Parts: sequence; structure tokens; C-alpha cells
Amino acid sequence: MLKDITFGQYYPGDSILHRADARIKIIILIEYMIIALAARSLLAVAVSVAFTVFLVVASKIKPGLLLKSVKPLIFVLIFTAAINLFFTAGEGDPVVHWNFINIYREGIVNALLMAVRLLSLVLGSSVLLSFTTTPLDLTDAIESLLSPLKKLKVPVHEFAMMMSIALKFIPTLIEETNKIISAQKARCADFDSGNIFRRVKALIPVLIPLFVSAVKRAEELADAMECRCYHGGEGRTRLKELKSRPGDYVFLLCATAITAGVILLNSITTQEVFDFCKTLFS
Amino acid sequence: MAFIELRDLWFSYSPESEPVIKNINLDIEKGSYTAILGHNGCGKSTLAKLACGIIPPGKGKVFVDGIDTADESRAFDVRKKCGMVFQNPDNQLVASIVEEDVAFAPENLGLPRKEIRKRVDEALATVDMSAYAKHATNKLSGGQKQRVAIAGMLAMGPECIVFDEATAMLDPAGRKEIAEAMKRLNSEIGMTVITITHYMSEAVEAGRVIVMNDGEIAADGTPEEIFSQVEKLRSISLAVPQVTELMYELERDGYGFPRGILHAMDAADAIESAVREARR
Repeated sequence: MLKDITFGQYYPGDSILHRADARIKIIILIEYMIIALAARSLLAVAVSVAFTVFLVVASKIKPGLLLKSVKPLIFVLIFTAAINLFFTAGEGDPVVHWNFINIYREGIVNALLMAVRLLSLVLGSSVLLSFTTTPLDLTDAIESLLSPLKKLKVPVHEFAMMMSIALKFIPTLIEETNKIISAQKARCADFDSGNIFRRVKALIPVLIPLFVSAVKRAEELADAMECRCYHGGEGRTRLKELKSRPGDYVFLLCATAITAGVILLNSITTQEVFDFCKTLFS
Repeated sequence: MAFIELRDLWFSYSPESEPVIKNINLDIEKGSYTAILGHNGCGKSTLAKLACGIIPPGKGKVFVDGIDTADESRAFDVRKKCGMVFQNPDNQLVASIVEEDVAFAPENLGLPRKEIRKRVDEALATVDMSAYAKHATNKLSGGQKQRVAIAGMLAMGPECIVFDEATAMLDPAGRKEIAEAMKRLNSEIGMTVITITHYMSEAVEAGRVIVMNDGEIAADGTPEEIFSQVEKLRSISLAVPQVTELMYELERDGYGFPRGILHAMDAADAIESAVREARR
């Protein structure tokens, strides 16, 4: 199950998204989240889905990888959709009525909307940021965007460095967790039976060695970093300076326009769209 | 003046515990290739960390190129001169892309971008990893990761690299890669190399072998001198290289062979000529 976690992993490639400035990508991601969460009317959702599809295609990431990134979320997806389906009370008669279960038209719409939102949030943020931006670029970008806070004595560089190391160690720690699970299974640990509480408890013998080894790794890494003359952000130069090209600003402008468009489109109901189409063709 | 000088060095990790380093005096010459041998817990890794100035000496002095490592204000200069490659390749790579990791040290030194680029390219070429510059570090093999770690050190421009059991976690192929890289660094660019190991086959390649036991130097000399003292090495629970052991056993059975044969081909030559001699 842990093999499927793709969060925070970079996939080398050469696409517009790979080349775009990481700072711009972060700003666009914020806008993208607004788009995905704010879209309510049919037209707005259509626009946000189209934007997601554009990002996915532009990233040139293999569809298989994308599916993998969505797979761990299937449960959450079904769960939220189901809650919305069953617990949204609507006006008018329920579409399905069986014993105490009532499903309204609004419930179906909400469930679909929720599923689309979650899906596009995961896909969009993966292709926009984690899949196409190296952790170092990402942290450089965060450091650069937050650098005004340095004046307030916020340790921005340290924060960024911590984040980049955390991202770098995700695959290593996942591998380690799998090894520990295998080792504990070899000693007859049982992770797959019993109720949820028993299963959570069964994970304790996995988590403790994992934490111990993570602390040991941290100590060694600190030594290795000191050996390489690391002394915080002061006086540090960069191999790759973040550079934004005109294309990045065009991208940003388009994304901002789409955000504004989605918010505007929200106020137009589906009925109005139909009416508009009718007048157009009559 | 030697490049690294240890003078009356004592060290213990806490005041009440047994010292791990007991009164060591040692000189490492510039451009030399030294192997430090010893079984687990004999203090060899501690000695390496002391020699690089990662930990300050307890009692006594450590000088790296004339700089006292106890002097906090010059810690930076010491680190720049003496790099260290550690055992676990995963725990010393900072970035997830090869060239970004190699660039880490020159970035910390605040070098201009052009110079960083040049150093990164040169360092990767030296360890034969140029083709992997844009690859993800976690997709590399152990030997390749360790070569990236070496490149990361080279990019800092040190005069000495200490390998702290850098081959211990590698498979035989990876071990060979790193052993060859160490040898090349020493012979081609004149790097001072200190390798801490418990693989005898690696120690044989060095110009000088130091055997540690219980925090003290038990023996110090050329590989030929050290490995001809088979009983002594066994008494401090160290194995001898297989070839040396074979020659030792043959000699004990009454065949006269010259002492200090370390390589398989030399041994084969010696045995061949002995057999010819006997036929005649």
C-alpha cells in the first residue's frame, strides 16, 4: 500500500510545467485551489475541469503515474461523495426513497461536485507542483516568496531547508517502513486482521523503529551537512537561480483570468445558460 | 609539517565513560593514501571524525594543515580542507537531483554561479557520473549514490577526503567502484585519502596501514609490513587478506616464500617459481 504514495515525488521531464518558474507555479497553485473549491455552477465546474485537463496534458506526466497518485485517495473520495449523497436534504421529492434513506437531486449534484473537486485538487497540485518541480526549486521558491518575512526575523531559510529535506526523505522512509513491516511480519506480526483499533495498535511496532531510525538518520545527515560547510542561509549562493521568463507571466495572467472567470461564472445558473443558448439559436 | 597532526590525543564521549581514543600521536602526510583498520568499536570512526575536526579533541591537539581544530572561529577552514564520506549513502545526500546535491557544498561556500557550475561538472566527471547529472538520487544504486557523495565532497575543493566505512553498505560491485575511485583520487589528482574499513582487500591498496585496537594504535606501516604479522593481527581479532593467509600457512608448513605477498597474481608467480624450482 505504501508503494502507491507518490506525493512529493519529482519526475524528471521536459514540459512547459517543468520549465516554468516555481514561484509562479506556487501562485498559480493557490489560484487553482480557489478555482477548484469555488466552482459551483455547471459552467464554472466545466472551466475548472478544462483547466485541470490542460495542466495534466501540459505536464506530459504518464497517465499511469497520475492514477497511482489518485489511488490512495479512492476511499476518501467515495466516503465524501457518499456523505454528500445521503445527507444532503433537498427541496422537493427525493429521487430514491427506501426505508430511512432519502436521496435528493441536490445530493447527487453535491456528491459529483465533491468528487470532481477532490480529484482535480489532487491531480492539479501534483502535476503543477510536486511532479514537475524539484524539491530544491520548490523550497527556493518558497524561500523567495516568503523572504519579506525575514525582516520580521522569521527563519525563512531554515524553514525552507527543513521542508526540502523532508520531501527528499519521503521515498527513503517509505522504503524503510516497508522493510520494517516485512521484518515484523517475519516475526508473525499481524497487520491485516481484527478491527480498526487492533490494526492501529499493530502498527506501533512499525512506528517505533521507524522513528528511532529517522532520528539516527537526522544525526548523520547533520554531520554530513556540516562537513559540507553548511551554516544556514547567510552568504549562500545558488547553482540555479530562479528566473521567470515572459511566458511565466503569460501563464500567471491566464490563470488569474480563469480564476476571475470562474468566480463570475458561479453567479450564472445553469438555467440562465440554457436560456441564453435558446435565444442564441432561435 | 604533516597535513594532519594528532598530538597526545584523548577522547571520550562523556566524562564518566571509558576513553575511546587513548593517547594517539599520528602524522598523515599530504598526498598519502592511508587505511585505518580495526574491529568494531576500536575507535577508528571517532579518530576519523577527530581528524576532520567534526568533533573537537577531548585532550591533546589536532592540526589540519596547521589549523587547530579546537579553534571554533576557524572550523570553516578546517572543513573546507578535509571532507568526509560517510557509511550510509542515503543519509548524506541533501538534494534529490544529482547535480543539485553536488552543488550543495560550493553553494554553502558562497561561490559565484559560474564557478559552482564548473566545479559540479568537474567533480561529476572525476567520479564518472556526468551522465547522471539530472537523475533523481533515490533511483541510483548504492555505489552510484556513494560516487555522488564523493563528487559532493570534491566540489568543495578539499585537500583530503576521509572515507568512514564508505563501502560497508555496498554490494561487491559497488564496493569495487568506490575502491577504484579512492585509488584514482589519490594517484591522479594527488588527493590525500584516508579510508576506514574492515575489508582487508581495500587496506592492501593503501600506501600505509594503521591498525587500531582499543583506542590505541596497535601497528603502523606499509601493507607488506602489517600483513606479514599474521599472529599479531589475529590476536586483536582481525582477519588477514586471503592471499597473505595462504602464504602464511604454506610458510608454516616449511615452504620458503618471501614475506609480504598481498596480491593474488604475486602469490601465483611465487608458487609457480617454487614449483619449477622443485621440479629441477
